[in-house]
Amino acid sequence: MRPDFQTSPWGRLVRSPLGALSLVMLALVICAALAGPLIYPIDPTTPDFAAINAAPSLFHPLGTDRLGRDTLARLLAGLRISLLVAVVVEAINIVVGASLGLLAGFFGGWADALISRLADMLFAFPGLLLAILVAAVFGAWVTENYGATARLLLVVISLALVGWPLMARYVRGQVLGLRQRDFVLAARALGQRDLGILRLHILPNITGLVITAATLDVVNVIVGEATLSLLGLGIQPPSTSIGKMIVEGAPLLAQNGMLVAAPAITLTILVLLFSFLGDALRDAFDPTSR
Amino acid sequence: MAQFLTRRALSLIFVLFSLTFLTFLIGRLVPGDPILVLMGPRRDPDTYARLRHLYGLDRSLIEQYLRYVGGLLRGDFGLSFRYEGRPVRELIAQGVPISLLVGGLALALSVLAGVPLGMFAALRHNSLVDRGIVGLTLAFYAVPSFVLIPLLWALNLAAYRAGWPSLPQAGWGRPAHMVLPILVLAAANIGYITRLMRSSTLEVLRDDYVRTARAKGLRERTVVLRHVLRNAILPVLTMLGPATAFLVTGAFVVENLFTIPGIGRISIEAIGQRDYPVIQGTTIILGVTVVIMNTLTDLLYRVFDPRIELE
Repeated sequence: MRPDFQTSPWGRLVRSPLGALSLVMLALVICAALAGPLIYPIDPTTPDFAAINAAPSLFHPLGTDRLGRDTLARLLAGLRISLLVAVVVEAINIVVGASLGLLAGFFGGWADALISRLADMLFAFPGLLLAILVAAVFGAWVTENYGATARLLLVVISLALVGWPLMARYVRGQVLGLRQRDFVLAARALGQRDLGILRLHILPNITGLVITAATLDVVNVIVGEATLSLLGLGIQPPSTSIGKMIVEGAPLLAQNGMLVAAPAITLTILVLLFSFLGDALRDAFDPTSR
Repeated sequence: MAQFLTRRALSLIFVLFSLTFLTFLIGRLVPGDPILVLMGPRRDPDTYARLRHLYGLDRSLIEQYLRYVGGLLRGDFGLSFRYEGRPVRELIAQGVPISLLVGGLALALSVLAGVPLGMFAALRHNSLVDRGIVGLTLAFYAVPSFVLIPLLWALNLAAYRAGWPSLPQAGWGRPAHMVLPILVLAAANIGYITRLMRSSTLEVLRDDYVRTARAKGLRERTVVLRHVLRNAILPVLTMLGPATAFLVTGAFVVENLFTIPGIGRISIEAIGQRDYPVIQGTTIILGVTVVIMNTLTDLLYRVFDPRIELE
């Protein structure tokens, strides 16, 4: 290991107990979700008519639902959807939100006015209200005309509509702060141009903060996607997601508790892991913030 | 103060404009002709023109928006797409008091539980009780409502099976129906308010006037109630806006899972029927409620703490 890795933020992250633990656990969860079909080759949509609403057994480790579909296989499929949505939404938040925030903070003027007003307009909607509105109004039309994949994309877009303004505002604030720092003023005094300052002094200093903010926001996205699915606005049957599993299993709570317990516990663990990782990242990249 | 009020009023107008304009725009962007859907098998141009005019769709987009906002000011949310010519207002009127009641009680519970819990923890800083409260509220805060709901259902079911007193799992009509939904809605806010109250109490306890009050020989009770509580509760006031915003998303989840005929459930039913004006109406009502709460909080904070210069 190179010595500069030890002192870098990534080194600090790996050496902090919380960071290391949440990284390893998350890696396990992600591997399980991705490699799910390989190590557990049961189809999540094929019913097993010999086992309807079955309790956990050797053939179905987490039991089956009322159509005889394997709960573990469905859980892995749902996990894939949740993680996929989270990754794509955060990618949009970073590409759109962080870039616009960077532009607004660094250049100011009309770019800042335009971007900030646009974000303010979206902030007028509390919580998930805008995502619910967009997913509700366009949902049926998107599914009818473009199919299930497009519907998933609509979920992603509606959640990104809620997420990017937050990211833009955060990055803008950070860049405004950085612009006043001595090393930026020195670079400017030495005649370095805007693009150079942006690339050499601003970007390296906000990369970590953006990664941290995106990781912490994953919690909102996962819960948001589950909420939309629960309201019938997210992914449509026969595909599933963690939120959808909870709402489908809820009426059967008395007969088969595992249908709700498995996705609910998975969701809670996922949320906790991402908040722990986010906290550890924040400590690693911004040691003064504690 | 005048400057503060002007700036606050301007930002209020901007927020209300954004809310109504984006909601209107999204409703207008829906692909397909709502009038054709409304007409069903009837296919004569006269009816088409009449309905188009009734719904105001024959006007320009700007004119439509202005008429929409003008209607909103009079409490008119336009006409339903599902029930020909029926005002949206009629469809959502019954849901508003129900959602307000459940949300208001949940907010009251979160303050009434969070404030004493947070103060109690702070007064016993670093004790076992403090750690317990912090841990519990963290769990309240971290667990999403739709994980909490099945958990409560399972507990309630177990109580029912054991022959203990239990609550109805879902439905609406009796006060007992409100208990579980209110608990679920309040849980996260209790967690948040407790944490906030705890840290602000810890801060106030270190302040000079608390030391002075103690040095004067005042009883601990008087110190806590007169000096600590009154100052430590201020940050909780700022939380009421965000807490209401949180309740709005919560209302959708809770009303749907507990089958409460409030605004959240009405919107979800309207989504199934593609009745977009209803969805627009509920969105605006929920959004405006949060805007009003945010504005009230700002004003209250200003009144209670004249030291604060609000931006």
